[in-house]
Amino acid sequence: MAYKPSDLVQGTLDLLILKTLTLEPMHGYGIAVRLEQMSKGIFRLDAGSLFVAFQWLQRAWLVRSEWKATENSRRAKYYALTDQGRKRLNSETREWERQVAAIARILEAS
Amino acid sequence: MSLLRSLSDGLRSLFRRERVEGELDEGLRGFIEMAAQEKMKEGLSRKDALRVVRLERGSLEIRKEVVRTAGWESVVEALWKDLRFAARVLRKNPGFTAVAVLTLALGIGANTAIFSVVQGVVLAPLPYREPDRVVMVWLNNLHLKSITDLSYADFVDWQRGARSFEKMAAYAWRGFDLSSPGTPEHLQGREISANFFATLGVELAQGREFSAAEDRNGGAPAVIISNSLWRDRFGRSTTTMGKSIVLDGVEATIVGVLPPGFRFGTDDADIYTPIGQRKLVEQNDRTVHNVVCIARLKAGVSMSRAEAEMNTVQETIDRLHPDMEEGLGAKLTPVEEQLVGDVRGTLLLLLGAVGVVLLIACANVANLLLVRTAARTREFSIRSALGAGRGRIVWQLVTESVLLSLFGGVLGLVAAKWGLNAALAAVGSSLPRSENVGLNVSVLLFALGVSIVVGILFGLAPALKSSRQTSLQEGARGSTAGSHRAQSSLVVIQMALTVVLLAGAGLLFRTIQQLWKANLGFDAHNIITFQVGLSPSATGNGVGVRSAFHQMIERIRQIPGVQSADLSTLVPMSHQVNSLPFWVDSHRPASVAEAPRTLGFITGPDFQRVMGIPLVRGRFISEQDTINAPLVAVIDTELARTYFPDTDPIGRTISFAQVGGYRIIGVVGHVQHWELGFSSPFTDAQSYVSIYQVMDRWMTTIDTWTWIVVRTPLDTSTVLPDIRKAVYGAGSDQSIYNVHTIKQIVSESMSSQRFPMILLGTFAGLALLLASIGIYGVISYSVSQRVHEIGIRMALGADKRDVFRMVVGQGLALALAGLAIGVVGALILTRLLSSFSVLLYGVGASDPLTFTAVSVMLILVAVLACYIPARRAMRVDPMVALRYE
Repeated sequence: MAYKPSDLVQGTLDLLILKTLTLEPMHGYGIAVRLEQMSKGIFRLDAGSLFVAFQWLQRAWLVRSEWKATENSRRAKYYALTDQGRKRLNSETREWERQVAAIARILEAS
Repeated sequence: MSLLRSLSDGLRSLFRRERVEGELDEGLRGFIEMAAQEKMKEGLSRKDALRVVRLERGSLEIRKEVVRTAGWESVVEALWKDLRFAARVLRKNPGFTAVAVLTLALGIGANTAIFSVVQGVVLAPLPYREPDRVVMVWLNNLHLKSITDLSYADFVDWQRGARSFEKMAAYAWRGFDLSSPGTPEHLQGREISANFFATLGVELAQGREFSAAEDRNGGAPAVIISNSLWRDRFGRSTTTMGKSIVLDGVEATIVGVLPPGFRFGTDDADIYTPIGQRKLVEQNDRTVHNVVCIARLKAGVSMSRAEAEMNTVQETIDRLHPDMEEGLGAKLTPVEEQLVGDVRGTLLLLLGAVGVVLLIACANVANLLLVRTAARTREFSIRSALGAGRGRIVWQLVTESVLLSLFGGVLGLVAAKWGLNAALAAVGSSLPRSENVGLNVSVLLFALGVSIVVGILFGLAPALKSSRQTSLQEGARGSTAGSHRAQSSLVVIQMALTVVLLAGAGLLFRTIQQLWKANLGFDAHNIITFQVGLSPSATGNGVGVRSAFHQMIERIRQIPGVQSADLSTLVPMSHQVNSLPFWVDSHRPASVAEAPRTLGFITGPDFQRVMGIPLVRGRFISEQDTINAPLVAVIDTELARTYFPDTDPIGRTISFAQVGGYRIIGVVGHVQHWELGFSSPFTDAQSYVSIYQVMDRWMTTIDTWTWIVVRTPLDTSTVLPDIRKAVYGAGSDQSIYNVHTIKQIVSESMSSQRFPMILLGTFAGLALLLASIGIYGVISYSVSQRVHEIGIRMALGADKRDVFRMVVGQGLALALAGLAIGVVGALILTRLLSSFSVLLYGVGASDPLTFTAVSVMLILVAVLACYIPARRAMRVDPMVALRYE
């Protein structure tokens, strides 16, 4: 089953994409595979939502893209973090952890 | 940054579609290809791998659409598609489009024209620095409860005493005879104090204001000229400063030029001179109230505080001149009120009226749309069957109607430009601030806004209605009953609105009629009036002026065709005021301010005969009443009735402040001096004294406000050359100006009613036309829908007259319903008209004659509009009608 963006907590897809790009620039499929692997198969993303997210992230100047040859010598668009994207990832991650901790406290309290 | 990026990205995908599409396509395709390769590694065939990927990750086209609609540019794109589709639909129905666009163009055009007047006159801020702080300061007579101009001496005291104002300035009207450079000409002008333009907050285009040294008696003659005079006489030369012009025979140095288009009030002034240099008698005499005071409030000082302060200042002046000024105060009014005045109410009224015309136009177009959308039911059914939501269909229909009204708006702007030029030419300079009226940015925005709102207004109802029919089974027949009811109510509303406009226009028309019929107290026919600038050589002393006038009148009387001619300082109905404090016999009041006022005509002996004023008792002034004879006065019936209720005034004495006692020798009829229907703050009691008994020192100032009236059956153009010759006999440096017939002046005095009447009449006519088209459209549509029914009726024995009666009856029922609502509305709204005191005269707000005429007119037009479809209905052949089904 593919995850629709609405199944993810609002805004988390952007955060996850930014996270996968911290090590190196990647192309769309690569990002999808990486997310799938890291989530142990839970997040199987549909191409449409991924590309919408890419478009949004580019317009927000959080990632930039360029066409490059892949390992199989195909042409693909590689996405890379901008400085702004890196900053945003850090702040969003902290914010996420804070919220998760808070939610966890609430759920455990009962 | 990111906003900019989003904008540029969006624009890129709008304008470089193929490239962006290609990139997206390649990206997605690559994604799917790579996913398929993975699957093939697991041993699937390529075909199966692609199928699994499509299932897992979604099909290419749908994914593309998801990405495409994610950015803002997709909304623009959809709108653009809708617009293109709408344009195609409109192009396919040229008849409908033309009628709708023309109707809307009329409505929007008329609204835009009136709005541009309202915007320029009422809404646009005055072209002064911080106009809110500029006020007029008046002398307030607490006894007579009226505000007046002040004397120059009062102004000087005020300026010295007041603390609430940053600056205070004064002005007074004065005419000038310019004799050099160029051809001699009489020009309107003002005497102003040193800081007049700084007080207003206006920068001169060239040069400077008058210095304090110039603004006093004996100062060097200096003049500030208007921009148009600078252009016409000096060709806008930058070396004009320091040059001189000759005014009333005196050479004055130009020190400043006004900015182009500067106007203060309704009249143009070309010449400004220092008020401190005016004749001594006008400077010192506290009874000469001909100065108007303007002031600029200090920051943070309110009008009421300043007014309170001015009242204390005036109290001090009162104490210093107890014989003169006791019981006077000060009153402040915003400068805007002075400049725009009561036009504001009239203009807003007209804006309301023209808005009603637009509503009627909208109703017509909505009716057309209702009929058309009923015919398009199939199209909407198919679209909704293909998955279009109701909102989508409504959106599309509203796009169509907005496009329609935008076309109407563009055409309306052309109509507005044309109509505005015609209207401005008709009112001329009598409309304050008319130089400020034009199609500027805010007017264009208004037209755009109105077009969009109107498009939504008339488009939304039919759109909502038709989008409700969604099933394909409802075929060609549609549900006509529902749309019929909607159409009928639109027609009723149109009729009601038209009645309101017709009633308003009718009342104003009756007002003008009453004004013409009113008894003016004199014979307005065959009189020409004009002013003469006497030769400077004659105006040096009182004796000279007196004999120059006398000789000139004698020469004019010799002209063949001239029956009589004489002088007067006041001409009825031309806004002139000479309000004199007076008392009877020895009943002198403690203070002049308490004395009653009379309107003082200073005339020659023949004035009563020229004007055709009836003599009631005694005699009028004669040739024998000269400066050497005892002073005599004539009073009118109004003064006689009020101040000599049961006694004979003849032989009694009437005294004027500062002048002396006059023996009353006669009583004449009352003359209508103010505009009809205008409730004057001034007195109605009139009196006449001889111009040849005016004291020498006053005679030197009287020529600029003296008029010559000539009774002749000849045409102005025929007799004027002879008059000119007779006047010039004294020397060619005299000019004739302000030439009018009394008839013109009387007609002009009705302009405050005539201008709104013409416009309201035009709007009402337009409304009637639109409403009759509306009722015609609905009735003929209903006839075309009922052909079958009519056929059956005729087959069953109804004759043609019955059918005719049925169709006309249907229209008449709508008209009568509209009439009933409209009359009630009009009865309420015309009270508004009567609250503008100037607009209605001699008619009640619910004048039965007007309302009857309006009702008859509306019913006639409605019957006429139904006549054509009724004729068509009569010609229905039952056989054809039944077979057709």
